[in-house]
Amino acid sequence: MSIVYLLIPLGLGMLALSVWAYFWAVRAGQFDDLDSPGVQILLDDDRVPPPAAQRSRDA
Amino acid sequence: MTTPAASPSCYHCGGSLPAAGSLSVLVEGAARAVCCAGCQAAATLILSQGLARYYDFRQAAAPAAAPGMRDWSAFDRESAQRRYSHERTDGEREVSLQIEGLHCAACAWLIENSLSRIAGLTHVHVNAGTARAELRYDPRRAALSRLLARIQELGFMPLPLCFTGGLAEETAERRTALKRLGVAGFGMMQLSTYAVSLYAGLMQGISADLQQFLRFVSLLVATPVVLYAARPFFVSAWQSLRARRPGMDVPVALSVGAAYVWSVVATLRGSGAVYFDSVVMFTFFLLLGRYVEMSLRHRAGMQHDALARLLPHSVLRISGVRAERVTPDELRAGERVRVLPGERVAADGRIASGSTEVDESLLTGEAAPRVRRCGDALIAGTLNLTGAVEMVVTRTGQDSTLASVSRLLSHAGASRPRVADLADRIAAWFVGGVLLLAAAVALYWLQADASRAFPTVLAVLVVTCPCALSLATPVALAAATARLARAGVLVTRGRALERLAGADRILFDKTGTLTRGEPRLERVTLPGSRLPEERCLAVAAALEGHSGHPLARAFAHLTPAAGVTDVRTVAGRGLEALLAGTRYRIGRLDYVLEGCAASPAQAAAGIEPGHTRIALGDESGLLAQFDLADTLRADAPETIRRLTALGLTPAIASGDRPGPVAQAARQLGELAAHADLSAADKLALVERLRREGHRIVMVGDGVNDAPVLAAADVSVAIASGTDLAKVSADLVLLGAGLSGLNCAVATSRRLMRIIRENLAWAVLYNLTAVPLAASGAVEPWMAALGMSGSSLLVVLNALRLLGRRAAPPMPELAHPPHPVHA
Repeated sequence: MSIVYLLIPLGLGMLALSVWAYFWAVRAGQFDDLDSPGVQILLDDDRVPPPAAQRSRDA
Repeated sequence: MTTPAASPSCYHCGGSLPAAGSLSVLVEGAARAVCCAGCQAAATLILSQGLARYYDFRQAAAPAAAPGMRDWSAFDRESAQRRYSHERTDGEREVSLQIEGLHCAACAWLIENSLSRIAGLTHVHVNAGTARAELRYDPRRAALSRLLARIQELGFMPLPLCFTGGLAEETAERRTALKRLGVAGFGMMQLSTYAVSLYAGLMQGISADLQQFLRFVSLLVATPVVLYAARPFFVSAWQSLRARRPGMDVPVALSVGAAYVWSVVATLRGSGAVYFDSVVMFTFFLLLGRYVEMSLRHRAGMQHDALARLLPHSVLRISGVRAERVTPDELRAGERVRVLPGERVAADGRIASGSTEVDESLLTGEAAPRVRRCGDALIAGTLNLTGAVEMVVTRTGQDSTLASVSRLLSHAGASRPRVADLADRIAAWFVGGVLLLAAAVALYWLQADASRAFPTVLAVLVVTCPCALSLATPVALAAATARLARAGVLVTRGRALERLAGADRILFDKTGTLTRGEPRLERVTLPGSRLPEERCLAVAAALEGHSGHPLARAFAHLTPAAGVTDVRTVAGRGLEALLAGTRYRIGRLDYVLEGCAASPAQAAAGIEPGHTRIALGDESGLLAQFDLADTLRADAPETIRRLTALGLTPAIASGDRPGPVAQAARQLGELAAHADLSAADKLALVERLRREGHRIVMVGDGVNDAPVLAAADVSVAIASGTDLAKVSADLVLLGAGLSGLNCAVATSRRLMRIIRENLAWAVLYNLTAVPLAASGAVEPWMAALGMSGSSLLVVLNALRLLGRRAAPPMPELAHPPHPVHA
């Protein structure tokens, strides 16, 4: 069972690492907006403006 | 020239198209119809920037873009910059905006992408969840007014927030809460593995060294949880003790603190039981409850400063002969300002010269304009209708009438359901009882079996944590609010849902509520055929462009003839103006005919029921007559049918004439209808019904029914209504239709049922668990598990309110194409 004396400190190290990563994410604002980024990936913004987009008037 | 594609609604805002005359935009080669010049400008801008995908991805139609740009230049002044933005060390400025009309992530994307093309803007983030935007820009290269104007051009309304406002505080509070929750969560996950090993060790044997090692590791993990994550409980318990009013946090702090200290001592001495696992689990679940409650509070807070938006963004200040645009914050008592027709008054004041008519409906509820002459008082936030006046400022900012109304409203907005207050009151008694009980149990066990005394007291403290009790209502409310938000219904007051569940009568305003509120041109008759129809329409559009009357909007989509001068408005009758040397009048028939030299009575007869007729004439007689009609919202009949099925009795209470009201009532299935009601009549109607014991829901657009809305048990406003309606109503329907109303009624009833279930469960649980714990049959870890399980059950029960991911609310796009005249 002496392996636990190695594994548990290792686990503690990973715990510290995950808490650090989580704190970083919170500070970086990763949890501030949970709605917009999910859709943003679907919308690409590198389209060239179509030249045909000018106003026209119909009666 | 292309023909509009066969779409029955406006490409940009989804609103209905005018019957006569139409505008369009070219979308990838095909012309798509839009309803007005404002929408055309917004759509053209969006398309020309290559952002057409907005239209593919948006989840709700855009708000109808208002034609006519605001003057944002006051925001470039040094004082405004200081107030609304914050200078960073690198010379850039940061500003936070609230954006009206922002519905979905596609709107946020559109604004971000369009703004990021402006040189000088270095950072932009739009949060679709909160409708807030954060901009960072270089003031030497981009003016704030330019950025604000661009957002308005896209069809949204930006409202700069004071930089000291709650946004930064809220974000900081939320982040801290998330960190504490995270620490407790990680700690709980890690500790549970050690706890399982230790309990297994108790049963099947474990070496003393390993046990001691596991206890030390547990101590290591539990310490940050208690000292950092559980800190708010200690602070709040200490504060409530100092105020001599022990709150719910006292037993919490006591059990967390005592169990931790006891366990630390036991670990260091190497004997006795440890309760690290219970401590951490307890902390995590309590923090989770707090987090849910905090999110709810923040969401409610967003409505808070809405009344302040009624103030204009800028005001014309007169000093000597010089006139300059300043922000209302810069005004001081004693200064002179000029208020133009169509502007809102920026501060309380007294008219120094000129006279005008003022719409004070937001304060008095009286829709009819009031005449204000030299020496009369003007109130901040009211709308100047007809004449330009100069006034001397008497009160500004927080001293103004508007600010005190706003304070009253925000106070009312803090109200919670009665059930929630009840739970809080019970909880306060509960705390005292628990502390007494714990002391009694401690006394008993110290005499009976001293070694069992501490674990038993701890078990009692933990098991009785009023967690389920205090979670029962806020979580259910949060779930119901979220469910309704998804269906396009904004809940501004939690208490309203409770009353909505018990309502039995529902009154609808007609114009703008059951109907679209947008008059549409249905028919043009030319009695004398003296001018071609097109010219008549152009003249009418030019004249009505100067009118604030609701009917004038029927002409907003037409191209007006240029060169209107000398406009004179006669309230309630019409207006006249000079155009290309001819004096035209538009309005009621008698008013138009009065202006004619000869009075040839050649008016066309036979007006259809439900139509409103206005006339256009010049000095030599009548030129044209326009029949306008306001059509029912597409989802109105279905909504009425479903509400009736839910047991509510619908009725119409309208200020409109009996003809159109009766017609609408007939179309909706022979509804009871009250026509020709003034605001006071409506108020009397609501009060009479309430005296008869009915519980009233009032649905309006808020133009002249703000006091009626306030008098009803529950008020509902349509989002396209006025600003004030949004503030004073309990529920706001955000979608373009009424269908959210069914959902609101159904959800409120389920909410009340679930709150009752939760409270019943919490009481039942405590009645069984407390005797067991006091008798010493429950170990602290079982108590923590039981408490957590109970809270979890309450939360899961409340989450049933969220339901399955509902389909988006029925958009008002699916109505049949309108006949196109002209």
